[in-house]
Amino acid sequence: MLGALVGGTLILGLLTFALPPSAERTAKWYGVAVALAGLILILFMNPWSPPPDESTRWLSYPFSSDYHLGIGGISYAIVEMLALCTTCALLATKVPRQRNFVGLMLMLEGSMLGLFLTRDLLVFALLWDAMLIPVFLLMIGWSVHPATAWRFLIYNVSGGLLLLLATAAYGVIYGTTDVIGKGILPPLSDAWAPWILAGFAVAFLVKTPVWPLHTWMPDTYAELPAPVAAVVGAVQSKAGLYGFIVIGLPLFGAQMHQFAPALLTLGYVGLLYGAFVALTEGEARKVVAYSSLSHLGLILAAIFVFNEYALRGAVVYIVAHGLFTAALFILLGFVEAREETSALSRIGGLARRNPKLAGAMAIAALATLGLPGLAGFVGELFILVGIYQAGYGWLAAVALIAIILAAAYMLRVYQGFMHGPEQADLPQRPDLRPLELLALAPLFAALVLIGVFPGIARYPDQAYAMIGTTPLVMLEKSR
Amino acid sequence: MPVQALVPPFGSFDYSALLPLGIVAVTPLIGLLADLIMPAGEPRRGIVIGISVAGLLGAIYVLVRQYVSHQFGPAFGYGFILGGFSIAFNLIVCAAAIFSLLMVPTQRDDDKEGPICALMMWSTLGAMLMAGAADLMMIFLGLEILSLALYCLCGMIARASDVRKREAREAALKYLILSSMATGFMLYGMALLFGATGSIDLVALQAVPLSNPLFDMGVGLFLIGVAFKIGLVPFHVWMPDVFEGAPLPATAFMSVVTKAGMLAVFARFLFGILSPSHDDALVWPIWAVAGISMIVGNLGALHQTDMKRLLAYSGIAQLGYILAALAGTSTLGMRYAIFYLGVYMFMNIGAFSVTALVARDSEEDAHMSAFSGLGTRHPVLAAAMAFFLLSLAGLPPTAGFIGKILILSSTVITGYLWLAGLLILGTAISIYVYVKIIRAMYVPVDLAHIREIRPLSHLPWIGVAVCSLATFVFEFYPVALHDVLPRIR
Repeated sequence: MLGALVGGTLILGLLTFALPPSAERTAKWYGVAVALAGLILILFMNPWSPPPDESTRWLSYPFSSDYHLGIGGISYAIVEMLALCTTCALLATKVPRQRNFVGLMLMLEGSMLGLFLTRDLLVFALLWDAMLIPVFLLMIGWSVHPATAWRFLIYNVSGGLLLLLATAAYGVIYGTTDVIGKGILPPLSDAWAPWILAGFAVAFLVKTPVWPLHTWMPDTYAELPAPVAAVVGAVQSKAGLYGFIVIGLPLFGAQMHQFAPALLTLGYVGLLYGAFVALTEGEARKVVAYSSLSHLGLILAAIFVFNEYALRGAVVYIVAHGLFTAALFILLGFVEAREETSALSRIGGLARRNPKLAGAMAIAALATLGLPGLAGFVGELFILVGIYQAGYGWLAAVALIAIILAAAYMLRVYQGFMHGPEQADLPQRPDLRPLELLALAPLFAALVLIGVFPGIARYPDQAYAMIGTTPLVMLEKSR
Repeated sequence: MPVQALVPPFGSFDYSALLPLGIVAVTPLIGLLADLIMPAGEPRRGIVIGISVAGLLGAIYVLVRQYVSHQFGPAFGYGFILGGFSIAFNLIVCAAAIFSLLMVPTQRDDDKEGPICALMMWSTLGAMLMAGAADLMMIFLGLEILSLALYCLCGMIARASDVRKREAREAALKYLILSSMATGFMLYGMALLFGATGSIDLVALQAVPLSNPLFDMGVGLFLIGVAFKIGLVPFHVWMPDVFEGAPLPATAFMSVVTKAGMLAVFARFLFGILSPSHDDALVWPIWAVAGISMIVGNLGALHQTDMKRLLAYSGIAQLGYILAALAGTSTLGMRYAIFYLGVYMFMNIGAFSVTALVARDSEEDAHMSAFSGLGTRHPVLAAAMAFFLLSLAGLPPTAGFIGKILILSSTVITGYLWLAGLLILGTAISIYVYVKIIRAMYVPVDLAHIREIRPLSHLPWIGVAVCSLATFVFEFYPVALHDVLPRIR
């Protein structure tokens, strides 16, 4: 079933190119149907009794490696969010050469589904690089500045190559790369483990991105077509954090502790730096980009305090951040389609003529700043409690500053766009159409649902045991 | 070495071991005969190329039979050793020759296909001989057969502008002079090796102690010749010029066959003769230049706009990757070097096949501008090209990706991690080189400004199809041949 999900999405994505190029509407609805079918398939999988793993041998020498797909609690959460975001992004798609666009989006989704479902490091490394290619093609085909596209590709592929080297080294030393989701594994020798983890970590930090490796990110998010930005910003950025959780924690427990001070620092620098830049940035898309830097820094810190609450919070916040980031990018796409800009200085007073747009924007902004009742709050609360409980009381306090700043910059965007004096030279455009609302509704519904019933974001404890939280807590105590 | 070993009569095994080489040697004669008898034109061209391809396919069939039946051993008094090693290299060389032959009709030289096919096949014969050669004379013989045919091939452009003709002749002359000089180095090295042992047999070299100055100098000069022919960095400057000047099929052919032949000689020398202690002392310069080649080759490719030049530089770097697998002389490394060489053959020849289809005629052969807008104009061809380029860059889902993983693993096993680091760095640089062409193909352009592609022949499509299939399949089933260690006894 998992193989059908990943392979089916990829093959159906490829088949999009069999449609005639002029079939733009057909292609869009085809894409929505494929993504929706995937979403429904995932929703019907019960995380408490997941479908069986599927595995086929790939390499036997010099180490064994399998095409191994399996769905654990944490994969389940992210894959669900991925399918939902892709469906909504495709619903909101309206671009030239739509057939090619939809085909590439589906292949992007397929490769990311594989990335979050695979249980083999080598397949993980393969898909890590593979998921960059559709994004790059989307960038060059849909008028992203070449320099931005190159920076995105070279940064991420360089990270991917280090990941590859680390994977090869891990495979040779450990004998197999089929290691994800096997629980805590016997550690590698001290001579190798820190270097291998460093290779993984650089790739993860570039992808997330974490300060100071984030410089490819603001331009990329600002220039990508809105639906792609929604998927990349919401889901692809989680690949690194996911990697730290399912690869770093169970396989490199001791080295993760060794690296923790440095990575906590980086996460916190990103948390504050992102928040302050978001406060001054003049373009709404970049505000969202820097707010991502800030929020993802918080999640990184949550992973590296080695606390069970923080980790649970991190998983919930990964989902929540994906949902509201996707919603924000889709919304900003609507604004840009209407006003041809997302510069704060150019837009104002939209709420009077576009009340639905304003309402949707308000929900997305409030979710971002962590309003209780929406999903972001649950994640942040858990993370802060976890950080405090892990004995870093002052770090929890510092994180609060960034959360307050989040309110400031998100409300600044909302206020600037929706209220204040109407810009006289701004074209008058109609409000959100029903279809556009439909593209946002599922994201908002999920945000509210998790916010009101945080229980549904609870995944089986065995999922956390799988990545070894409990033993890690013990490790923490013995340290 | 006792002289008796070289005395006839030779048994049936000797001849059956050389059967594939015999086929490749004789087929061109038939082709030339057909060329002589038939009037010039489309049918003759088809028949000549058909005969040549059939001969190579026959050779491949015999090679596969030989590998399966596993009757390996020395032939002609240890002059030629039939084994998994020579068969693997011969298969790669023959396949490359077939795909290059299929590109011949895309050139304007309608009355020259007979000689071109014959020269290309005899050149192939030289590389095949090098892959099995186990004494210094055989190595030299193979090298000369390979090179002599190539000097002619480089200059063979008949129907082209004067500028283009002059370029081709310049390439041929440059290749002749520089290559002869390298051959001189190699020959001098061989002479010194002979002086050290009194024998041309490679086995005799095994016994020489490390401190023998004749031996050390001989190996050094020999390796300079190797580095030149493979195109490693301090000796690489001839390569882009020659590749650019030569006609496209010859370039495609050279990019794989010369390198494969020389690589086989080097690998046999390394694995068969040098003991591990020799290794560190004598061969480390080769690893060093391999590492430098990965960086310099990719840096050199950054600004190229001619596909042939670009692929020449990329080939310099790719051979560096292959040598990284050989470093440390492990069995797995040898297997992965051969695997990557096979993959390199498919992806490189695939890229050349697409170039042959895109370049309209030999006038403005292979400029990168020919690729702009290919994504809209000819989506299938563009997708195939993108696939080959991703493979050259080592990105998934291509065989180049798994090839790099295997090479990286082998460097980790043998402890040559600095080579792995340089490989990663070189690959990171190469991303721009290859993806730049993908970008040119897919950036939306005004189609009015772009010329149609009307290749003179559709034969390279076979190469495109087979190579892309192979590049895809090897990703998921990386079959590296067993039993590929070179033997000298």
